[in-house]
Amino acid sequence: MHATKLQVKLYAKTGQIEPDKLVPVFHEWIRTKKIPDELLIDVADYTHVPQGPGVVLIGHQSDYYLDVADDRPGLLYSRKRGFEGDVQAGIDEAFRRALNACRLLEQESRLGFEFATDEVVFRVQDRLRAPNEDATYDAYKPGLERAASAFFGASPSLERIGTAKEPFAVRIHTGSSGSVSDALGRH
Amino acid sequence: MTSWKEQLGDRIPEQLGGEVDLFEGQIELKKQGKLEDKIFAETRLRRGVYGQRYDNGLRDDGTGQKPLAFPCGDLTKGPDTVWDAPGMMRIKIPFGKLTAEQLEVLSALAEETSDSILHVTTRQDIQLHFVHIEDTPDMMRRLAAVGITTREACGNSVRNVTACEYAGVCRTQAFDVTPYANAITRFLLGHPDVQDFGRKFKIAFSGCEDNPCGLVTFHDLGAVAQVRDGKRGFRVVVGGGLGAVPVQAKVLSEFCPEEELLPLAQAVSRVFARLGEKQSRARARIKFLVQKLGIDEFKRLVAQERESLRPDARWTAFLDDLHATDEKPIRPAGAIPGDASADFQAWAKHNLRPQAQEGYYVAIVKLPLGDFTSTQGRALADLARELTGDSIRCTVEQNLAFRWLSGADAVTFYQRLSALNMAAAGAGTITDMTSCPGTDTCKLGISSSRGLTAELRKRLSVLESELHPAVEALRMKASGCFNSCGQHHAADIGFTGVSRQVGGRKVPHFNIVLGGQWTENAKSYGLVVGAVPSKNIPKAVELITQHYLAHREGEESFQAFIARVGKKEFRKVLEPIQKPPAYEQDPSYYSDWGDPREYTIGDIGVGECAGEIVPFVEFGLQEAEQQLHEAQDALEAGHAATAAAGGFNAMVTAAKALVRHLEVQVNDDAEDVVANFKTHLDDTEIFHDPFAKGKFATYLLTMHQEESYKHADAETAHRTLDEAQLFIEAAHACYQRLTQAAAAAAAE
Repeated sequence: MHATKLQVKLYAKTGQIEPDKLVPVFHEWIRTKKIPDELLIDVADYTHVPQGPGVVLIGHQSDYYLDVADDRPGLLYSRKRGFEGDVQAGIDEAFRRALNACRLLEQESRLGFEFATDEVVFRVQDRLRAPNEDATYDAYKPGLERAASAFFGASPSLERIGTAKEPFAVRIHTGSSGSVSDALGRH
Repeated sequence: MTSWKEQLGDRIPEQLGGEVDLFEGQIELKKQGKLEDKIFAETRLRRGVYGQRYDNGLRDDGTGQKPLAFPCGDLTKGPDTVWDAPGMMRIKIPFGKLTAEQLEVLSALAEETSDSILHVTTRQDIQLHFVHIEDTPDMMRRLAAVGITTREACGNSVRNVTACEYAGVCRTQAFDVTPYANAITRFLLGHPDVQDFGRKFKIAFSGCEDNPCGLVTFHDLGAVAQVRDGKRGFRVVVGGGLGAVPVQAKVLSEFCPEEELLPLAQAVSRVFARLGEKQSRARARIKFLVQKLGIDEFKRLVAQERESLRPDARWTAFLDDLHATDEKPIRPAGAIPGDASADFQAWAKHNLRPQAQEGYYVAIVKLPLGDFTSTQGRALADLARELTGDSIRCTVEQNLAFRWLSGADAVTFYQRLSALNMAAAGAGTITDMTSCPGTDTCKLGISSSRGLTAELRKRLSVLESELHPAVEALRMKASGCFNSCGQHHAADIGFTGVSRQVGGRKVPHFNIVLGGQWTENAKSYGLVVGAVPSKNIPKAVELITQHYLAHREGEESFQAFIARVGKKEFRKVLEPIQKPPAYEQDPSYYSDWGDPREYTIGDIGVGECAGEIVPFVEFGLQEAEQQLHEAQDALEAGHAATAAAGGFNAMVTAAKALVRHLEVQVNDDAEDVVANFKTHLDDTEIFHDPFAKGKFATYLLTMHQEESYKHADAETAHRTLDEAQLFIEAAHACYQRLTQAAAAAAAE
């Protein structure tokens, strides 16, 4: 059940997000090594695809998306490789990196982005080790509850979402109304 | 389960499974340093595992080229190709046919190993980008389990066999070419006679002569369905190709009976493998062999080879069941409701086409830049299961075709597409541009063809309802470089990426190619009118289409108009926008569409030495371009020999400018220029392109040696001008490299 390819999405608060504004910002992140412990490689612009991945900062260990799936823009952190640790450590690390990217984007004043912390979507992009079924949910639920409580400070409610053909996914209602920085500061 | 191999078990066909196991073993050997770079590179290419931009571990971040510190260290997956660098996976989809299950697996792979985007190529493949090589064996296993192989998707092999997406349901076809495309795919896959090619080999099928869906004339081998006296067969053409120098295929057989198609393809393959160029990659496609031998000699050799072939039961076995590939509708036929909404009507105008079978339609899902998401992929698979069955086809215009849609279900289909944000109207119109990956991901990209296409698409979509029908009907295609993967030669308005040096900085440009013909299987190719800065291309499209509408006679088509007024007139139209403003006035011209980095590679300054030399060499290159334009005018006027001689002279002028730039004394005599060019720019490899190597130098040297420009016919003249255009582009690129080197030396 131990998978590497974890994703965490936090939604943007404002509905006025213009993903193409991210393109120069992500190029700058590569140039300035904004996330120092990751190798950032390139920027993929998919703003022409409705409800698509938006703008993607392609990295070696992880990708960062300003994702517009379901017409709900948000920051999607997607870990691909290079993590060694148990399930809980993996979940915690994915939450932390997603929140950190949200904070970095919030700090880009030219964007005017702000992210909500009341709802998080967690996915595992690994149908072999983590099919979207009850057994996977049972395996990940305790870790997700612990991580959500630790970062967001309230009792979360979890809901498995999607079909068997989709990746394993859980929508977490955190009960939080705090900021991204609050969440990072709490853990 | 701990692995996909265990999980999928018997669902993976034994042979495909064995091949993937072997490839996985080769990956391990490479990691252990037991396999040579070149051998491993060709091995992975033949499995569809392709390189991608920046995979040499270097990337210009807008301020200079910087190393990408991949954790793999010195481990490589080919010459100058870093192991950990993301790559592209090309997945062959023979004649573009996909089942719902296959689409679901592809979507899952896009999510798990790529960036959730599936890209349809101009040759009906699906490509996934940013893939790590170590993910590829399991990708291949999961694909194999649903009947897809990536074998020979890249490399010097028979690439994906393409066919028109309407095959079997088309009203103008002679017959359904699907079973023949399927048979040749299976017959040649892994066949020993196709393993020793010097370059790739592309095959296409068309069901009829007049419609463009198969595009056979720019393929290495093309087959057009024919029925003679009730017997099925094909008009077979050979030696076509786009690439740097587009060539129309020649007729190999006016009528090849169906039972002779596979042995003929085998014989052609054997001749190509035996006599095709192996050393010089630039001249290794079969089109060069056909040109070198002449079509009559080529025919003779193929006929001789055919006689010597040992009979093979597979040549005709498939003919026993030509209906094996037939599709069956899953819904009853019906009429489109008469009271459908205006939005539906607008979509149906270009996106629905009635089938030969009454009451059924082919629905085209117009994809932006050939892209769709994994979520959309799954939803489309559901839609197919519900309404059309396993009848999806990737199209050469980078869309998806759903066949066997009952007219009665058309509105429901449209509504479901709308919910997926996939109901864009205007399939096959000017808003439906195709594009190669260009600088987004391709190692060879010069300009951002996808960035340009996205921009044009955005602007034109706003105007869609106001477009004049004559403009709406035009086709535009963009390629990021001279290799023509965007098929721009066959567009009404085509674009090919080039760069220009302005005030010591590089500016992305596109050469505009007008007058290509998409219809009649891409019957003729366009010629370059001139280079325009990338940021002025939208204006160029506006000027070209306005000029056409203002000056056409009656219902005159765009091609007829171009033929009548000539490209010279369009050069005048474009002249005001061909020069970019100075960097200080508008720096936006110095970066490409969708990419804020300054287009310049490295920190190029304007050194004093370079400053003195620049005007002279640029003058020479401009003179060469002028000569080329005059030669193009001569060709249009029907003076082939004059045109060819002019093309050769333009190359000599460009070569002379570069030779003098190196401070070598040279006179105006072509003999002297070519000799010095060879010594100082070709032998030294200074002129050589980093990827195409000595290809463009060969154009001048060969032309000079063979004197092919003398007494040229129209076709030779056309080719000469194409080669001259590329040679001049290469001269610009060479000059830019020399400038960079001078600036770097000055900085030190």
